[in-house]
Amino acid sequence: MATFFGEVLSVYSRAVEEDDDDLDDENEDERIHREIEEKREVHIVWCPEVAQSLEDSGSNKLQCSDLIIAVGTNAAGFLSAYVLNTESWDAVGHVSLWNERSRGSSRQSIAPLPGEPACLFYRHRDNPAVFGCLQKRGLSVMVLSDSPVAEYKTPDYLYGSAVPFLRSLKSSASKGQALCPALEQPNILTGLPAAVLSHCQVHQIPAVLYQCYTDVISPDSITMETFKPALLCLSKLVKLEPCLSADVLRKFAIITEAQSNLYT
Amino acid sequence: MAARYDRAITVFSPDGHLFQVEYAQEAVKKGSTAVGIRGKDIVVLGVEKKSVAKLQEERTVRKICTLDDHVCMAFAGLTADARIVINRARVECQSHRLTVEDPVTVEYITRHIATLKQRYTQSNGRRPFGISALIVGFDCDGTPRLYQTDPSGTYHAWKANAIGRSAKTVREFLEKNYTDEAIATDNESIKLAIKALLEVVQSGGKNIELAVIRRNQPLKLLESKEIETLVTEIEKEKEDEAEKKKQKKST
Repeated sequence: MATFFGEVLSVYSRAVEEDDDDLDDENEDERIHREIEEKREVHIVWCPEVAQSLEDSGSNKLQCSDLIIAVGTNAAGFLSAYVLNTESWDAVGHVSLWNERSRGSSRQSIAPLPGEPACLFYRHRDNPAVFGCLQKRGLSVMVLSDSPVAEYKTPDYLYGSAVPFLRSLKSSASKGQALCPALEQPNILTGLPAAVLSHCQVHQIPAVLYQCYTDVISPDSITMETFKPALLCLSKLVKLEPCLSADVLRKFAIITEAQSNLYT
Repeated sequence: MAARYDRAITVFSPDGHLFQVEYAQEAVKKGSTAVGIRGKDIVVLGVEKKSVAKLQEERTVRKICTLDDHVCMAFAGLTADARIVINRARVECQSHRLTVEDPVTVEYITRHIATLKQRYTQSNGRRPFGISALIVGFDCDGTPRLYQTDPSGTYHAWKANAIGRSAKTVREFLEKNYTDEAIATDNESIKLAIKALLEVVQSGGKNIELAVIRRNQPLKLLESKEIETLVTEIEKEKEDEAEKKKQKKST
């Protein structure tokens, strides 16, 4: 493999290992890992009226007809700015978690702060069947996520003007056209969006995912606007802010341009 | 796929790409637009001004710099890399004056900058400079010149060119509008540069900075009032054009 000046390649020895005394140390490492694994927790907290309706429904499941999930700062910013901003949404619960990689807060009753790994659920006031989380039959799911364009693999050279752009993936139960080209091979999805889509595919829930590839690291208004084609699907379900003032977008986007003197 | 051949500068990919150099050209696209126009008796450099933070001194955020009395350049890309290149170029200009007792020609200093950039694409442990430069000036014999360099170390002479964020749009505009009438007078050349920038700059003349060199005169930065006047003139001309077209259509 081509290497650069200063790169250190770890070389694996093919010498046969004798039984050595390091076994204890390894066991200790394993033990510590196991202990930390057991400490992993996921907490779901609902607001009182949803908790009540959960109890009332008996099967501990919530009615939901449409589910919209946003993963990533730009996708979440898009939803916050264009959809949740119309003020007819209520925060009805949250999930917070703790594992050895992403440490959430240990408080369970207080809503998670931005920056902590967590998920906030919002429910539409007028149409409580439209929801921001969990599974049920008769459900359709839309996932928005963002990803750096450096991870987009293509045989052609990508010119700067094409970025940011959208690609889509659908579960086979999903009818209807996606509003942007499908994600080409060999690109793959990972993480929560992939888990959601796999789940929907296995349980034959119609789901569509929009992945935005962007070259900006922080939340950015231009990237958020790239999700606009998804608005067309959403507008059947919820009221949207059709034209957003720059001020609203700025609330959700961190303006780093003026402070960054890296490029002139 | 670029994955295995784009981490080292000194490695070609099987299909002949130097990926680090090509990625350096992407860094250039992150800088704001700069345009250069070669007129008959004037050379013009126009840049899109970056928005400056509230507490920042505006005059220290300059994209246009002199290299010598008769040569100046505008850059797009990494600020720090530009500073290094400009320093080396300025030293070379003075060294040339002392050694040869003549001011540099624009082509000489451009070739020096381009050679410097190329050296950094061929040694290990260093990355290429992430800037493109537009170098303008007059030679001793009075000919106006405009050159452009890029991170790979190539340089070419141009009649008009643009670098930076929306360079493609501006270049297309220039290809359509750079005519002999458009550069007939000094004022017309300046207006062509402003018109080219207005294609891509938001909020008009406030965000444009302009510099001109006339034959045997040092670099002159236009004041914002002058730029505003020219922008108003251009807008009026556009309205008159639109009116004429409307009248032609109705008759």
